Amino acid sequence: MDKLKITVNQNEHELLIGVHDTLSSVLRKHLGLTGTKIGCEQGSCGACTVLLNDQPVLSCITPALRCHNANITTIEGLAQQGELELLQIKFVEKGAIQCGFCTSGMVLTSYDFIKKNPNATVDEIKLALSGNLCRCTGYKKIIEAVSETIHIQNHPGYQTLPNKTSKDIVGVGRPYIEATKKVRGSAEFADDIQMKNVLHCTFLRSPYPHATIEAIDKTAAESLNGVKYVLTGEELPIQFGVLPISQDETALAIHKVRYAGEIVAAVAAESEELAIKACELIKVRYKPLHPFLEIDDSLNDIGTNEKIHSHTKFNNNIHKKAELRFGDQQLALSNSDVRSKMNFEFRGVNHGFTEPHAAIAYWDDNGLTIHTATQVPHYLHRALAKVLEVPLSKVRVIKPYIGGGFGGKSDPFPHEIIISFLAKKTGRPVKVRLNREEVFLCNHGRHPSVITMEIGATNEGKLTAIDTGIAIDGGAYGSFGVVTSYYNGVLLQAPYEIDNLGFKTLRVYTNKPQSGAMRGHGAVNSRFAMETLMDELAIKLNIDPCELRLKNFMTSNVFTIGKFRITSNGSRESLLKVMEQSGWKERHGNLSFGHGLGVGCGFFISGSALPIIWNELPQSTVHLKVDFDGRILISSGSSDIGQGSDTMLAMIVAEVLSISMDKIYVLAGDTLMTPVDLGSYSSRVTFMAGNAAKTAAENLKHEIVTAIAKKFNIEAAELNCYDEKIVSNNKTLELSWNEAIDCVTANRGAITVSGKYISPKLGGDFKGAGAGLSPSYSFGAVIAEVKVDVETGLVKVINIWGAHDCGKAINPLAVEGQLEGSWHMGMGQALSEQMTYFNGLLLNSNFLNYKIPTSMDTPPIYTNIIESEDPEGPFGAKECGEGALHPVIPAIANAIYNAIGVRITKLPINPEDILNQLNQTATTTMIKENFSIESEIQ
Amino acid sequence: MIEEKRYLQPRSIAETIAMADAQQSDFRFIAGGTDLMVNKFQENENSSCLIDLFGVEELKEMTSDESFLYIGALTTLDELKKHPLIVQQFKVLIEAAEAVATPVIRKTATLGGNILCENRCIFYNQSKWWRDAVGNCLKCEGNICIATGSKKHCYSEFVSDTAIALISMDAMIEFVDHNGSHKIALHKIFSGDGVHPVNLNKSSLIKSIILPLNQNFKSVFYKLRLRESMDFTSLTTVVTKNKEGKWNIVLGGVDPKPVLIHGNKESDHAEWIQQALKNSRAIDNEVFSRKYRRKMIQVYLKRSFDIIEKTQY
Repeated sequence: MDKLKITVNQNEHELLIGVHDTLSSVLRKHLGLTGTKIGCEQGSCGACTVLLNDQPVLSCITPALRCHNANITTIEGLAQQGELELLQIKFVEKGAIQCGFCTSGMVLTSYDFIKKNPNATVDEIKLALSGNLCRCTGYKKIIEAVSETIHIQNHPGYQTLPNKTSKDIVGVGRPYIEATKKVRGSAEFADDIQMKNVLHCTFLRSPYPHATIEAIDKTAAESLNGVKYVLTGEELPIQFGVLPISQDETALAIHKVRYAGEIVAAVAAESEELAIKACELIKVRYKPLHPFLEIDDSLNDIGTNEKIHSHTKFNNNIHKKAELRFGDQQLALSNSDVRSKMNFEFRGVNHGFTEPHAAIAYWDDNGLTIHTATQVPHYLHRALAKVLEVPLSKVRVIKPYIGGGFGGKSDPFPHEIIISFLAKKTGRPVKVRLNREEVFLCNHGRHPSVITMEIGATNEGKLTAIDTGIAIDGGAYGSFGVVTSYYNGVLLQAPYEIDNLGFKTLRVYTNKPQSGAMRGHGAVNSRFAMETLMDELAIKLNIDPCELRLKNFMTSNVFTIGKFRITSNGSRESLLKVMEQSGWKERHGNLSFGHGLGVGCGFFISGSALPIIWNELPQSTVHLKVDFDGRILISSGSSDIGQGSDTMLAMIVAEVLSISMDKIYVLAGDTLMTPVDLGSYSSRVTFMAGNAAKTAAENLKHEIVTAIAKKFNIEAAELNCYDEKIVSNNKTLELSWNEAIDCVTANRGAITVSGKYISPKLGGDFKGAGAGLSPSYSFGAVIAEVKVDVETGLVKVINIWGAHDCGKAINPLAVEGQLEGSWHMGMGQALSEQMTYFNGLLLNSNFLNYKIPTSMDTPPIYTNIIESEDPEGPFGAKECGEGALHPVIPAIANAIYNAIGVRITKLPINPEDILNQLNQTATTTMIKENFSIESEIQ
Repeated sequence: MIEEKRYLQPRSIAETIAMADAQQSDFRFIAGGTDLMVNKFQENENSSCLIDLFGVEELKEMTSDESFLYIGALTTLDELKKHPLIVQQFKVLIEAAEAVATPVIRKTATLGGNILCENRCIFYNQSKWWRDAVGNCLKCEGNICIATGSKKHCYSEFVSDTAIALISMDAMIEFVDHNGSHKIALHKIFSGDGVHPVNLNKSSLIKSIILPLNQNFKSVFYKLRLRESMDFTSLTTVVTKNKEGKWNIVLGGVDPKPVLIHGNKESDHAEWIQQALKNSRAIDNEVFSRKYRRKMIQVYLKRSFDIIEKTQY
């Protein structure tokens, strides 16, 4: 230990610290300044950026003792006397904050940059921020916030447009209600929660992808002073899984391990360091088994080897076969004038949310309470009750602020179950935080896939059939895989009219971290295949690729071949918008070699119409409470994970009651305090929780006007909520909001009302008919412009024009953020992201080697919201958080084809493949004439 | 017994050397620390004593005489562009520095530190758990190279971008040890052994980087990486021609040490490319394949030659 004298945010401290402690750990652990976030611990995400003597540094790789006698500014110290800096205000106003986990680092990096570069250009800003990863925004709004700050500083009189009055709520973009908290660094994420007497939990993980556990010796670990519990699998034998049909996982491995990284033992100890040390002392004897690492290995008969799971039906590792057929695809294909068939290959990708999983659990007389970074408190609630064998009424799951999810925090996780168990056994709170490598090992990301797909069309360009065979790599456990298997196929039945559609998906278990749901769930890869084949078909038919799509779009109010009910449909408007904006008609086909434009379209569910666990609860229930003070408490089990759903709920209630947002408080994601909502997955929250909130607000309005009508002897139908007042149609009665509340609470006290959403009965009556059913669907289109260096094969995306039909943008600022984030994430899968393995060991479990695009890799994004006014969505709204991802990837790939004639059938796009293909195509002749590469010498 | 951890903060070069000599072998100098601290997190660096050079002002000085520029080893990568002499005469050094890591890291990372940046390999730059699971490689005291199966040779890659630029401009370094001060051509300190890539004694301290003035260098820099920020190099090439028409072709990221080819006016560009390929021992140990990187050596060098040939003197 050594003494550290340090001034942080103008306060002097003298601390006793570990001599090799990092600055970030001192700030967070010793000083409780948890606004400084830990995203990677390896200097490759920027979340931990603080100012050291007015220079930005990455505090996770800064030795604390270097800061002896130094001045540190953390995010908590930026606002003076509570007044936000202009830059912070702009981050809030511009929607530069979604999950908020990267915000502290982004703000401090920008703050320093602006100070030293008061006239910086947009390109310079992009460069300055290129070490700070953001997974939510696509950087666009962050760059705008910094840019506008610079502009205002240089133009003192400059005024931004004032926010509209409280009369306009739905349809007017506004910052998240918690944005100020996030920009101050005071929003608490799971790892920020501090409790007395807490124990720390760490894990011992399997080094083998597939092995029998022969013996575990934990005596040395147990005897270490400060170690309170060493847990192994047999103490938690009950299986769980997010889907009732794949309860195939235990909290820790029992008898065998199925992937390298699986938890074999867990330690609760007085400190994290001690727990890590204890884990190292646990001796495990393994007997390695033959590992199944690729899809093919698992599809085939395994001979005498041991299966990954004994419960699978045949002598192979196939987990699920999903097959649906509508019409006769092969007949339709053989009758088609043109056909297109290709094989595709996709690597797995990971959500890459910036906040690592973290949780803290404790028990008291009320049972278990766990604060955890989860997208679905409700399913975790059920899983904890099941595995820990306690009544549902003794489990409380609380969701703090979440640093992004994208599907990766939607399963119940072993670490959540383990710390809950350890907290019970030790009688003390237990916390856990995963490091970035462990986050990657949890995975649940997009399934690696191989797809063969064939489509046909008439000479006129009318699609006739789609037939596809798909195999997806599920990794070691089930997760959402059964749903994924179906989504791969059923999400091909729009946006184009098609009479013959067939698919067969095989999901296999492999000895790798499990795949699951990730933004655009299930359909990203198969829709890539579809949109690529559409492009190919357009070429064969000599029809413009956009025209071909326009010819085939479904209209509104139709049923698809698999009985999806399409209500609103903005496909056409979306595509026409990006065609116009990109200058498609003038430019497509007229660009020089190496420079291209490509298009892709897509659609997605707006909430799954069926719950994962079959029951008759509504999909969402929202309660409103109003008391004498006039403030409305919204309580909802929905999970704001950075997508802005709390704000959406508040806006909807404010709109219905015509009151200002500051009269609303949102309490969400607490399974004790809030009614059940199924959680943030399948892009369901705005549609379902939004509808429930709208109904609740209407019910409250009814209560209010009924009370007033009775008191003033006026017809309730004559009364309206308008501009924070209750006004009668003839204007003879006008009550302020608080007068109205006095009226309704008189002799009754606080009012509580409820609203719910239940999806209408939808779909056909065949097996598998429920997959992909949704009360509504979003639609969209993207055009991408690329330049390809034909000597290196490297691709640069120059522009992205996107349009997405979200029905109605309740909060356009948030919708834009979702769209830009989706396009950015899609671009990552297209160009740089992949999970790679070596003998079953994940090779790139950090942000240096798992390559999320930086601000420098992100092109200008042109965002268009298309509003088709859905008849059932709240105020016409439907999803915008996932579907936009689909079209961007094929748009980029099709642009590459347009640029150089190379067809992309593997993701991520590999420059080496591009070069190889270029060499094989005739188009290279002219290049070769001008440029000859010496043949490889060995 | 766990050795007690220490963190020392000398104020002068003399004090630093004395501290280093007083230690057992288990110590490391830490300059910016942006590389070392990551290796420490991954437990590839386990020295119990860190000697932080941050407070040694002598290492931050920039001086020049008639013939040479002396850049203090502790000059940060971000500061290089602020010195007029570097901007005027050694622009490619700035270009290389600006291609390292990220803007914020460049405010901490130093030129001396970047030159000595630990060699990298996808099978080495992993957590301790990972390396134990795969079976430790030659570079982490194991007995086999995971990438090649070799029992002898480690091919971890040399990844300093600035060193490549500096070597192309005939840079020397001045280093200090308890025997005094020494000068040596920069490229000579690299061993070519991936396990111990630097020949210098552990307690030797690089004081300054020395560049010859008024050489009228014409240089072209390329760095192959998937992203435009953050990534380490998969191939760095710098081709520099001086006023006498002498060419230096230097490659990084394709061998455990910088690959240096000298060329003169009469030589054929194609021959230099062949030599570069011959001397590069790239293996499949990172995001781009060996084959592709070798192809890119050809592309980058040809482009560099073309640009320099077209540049007017």
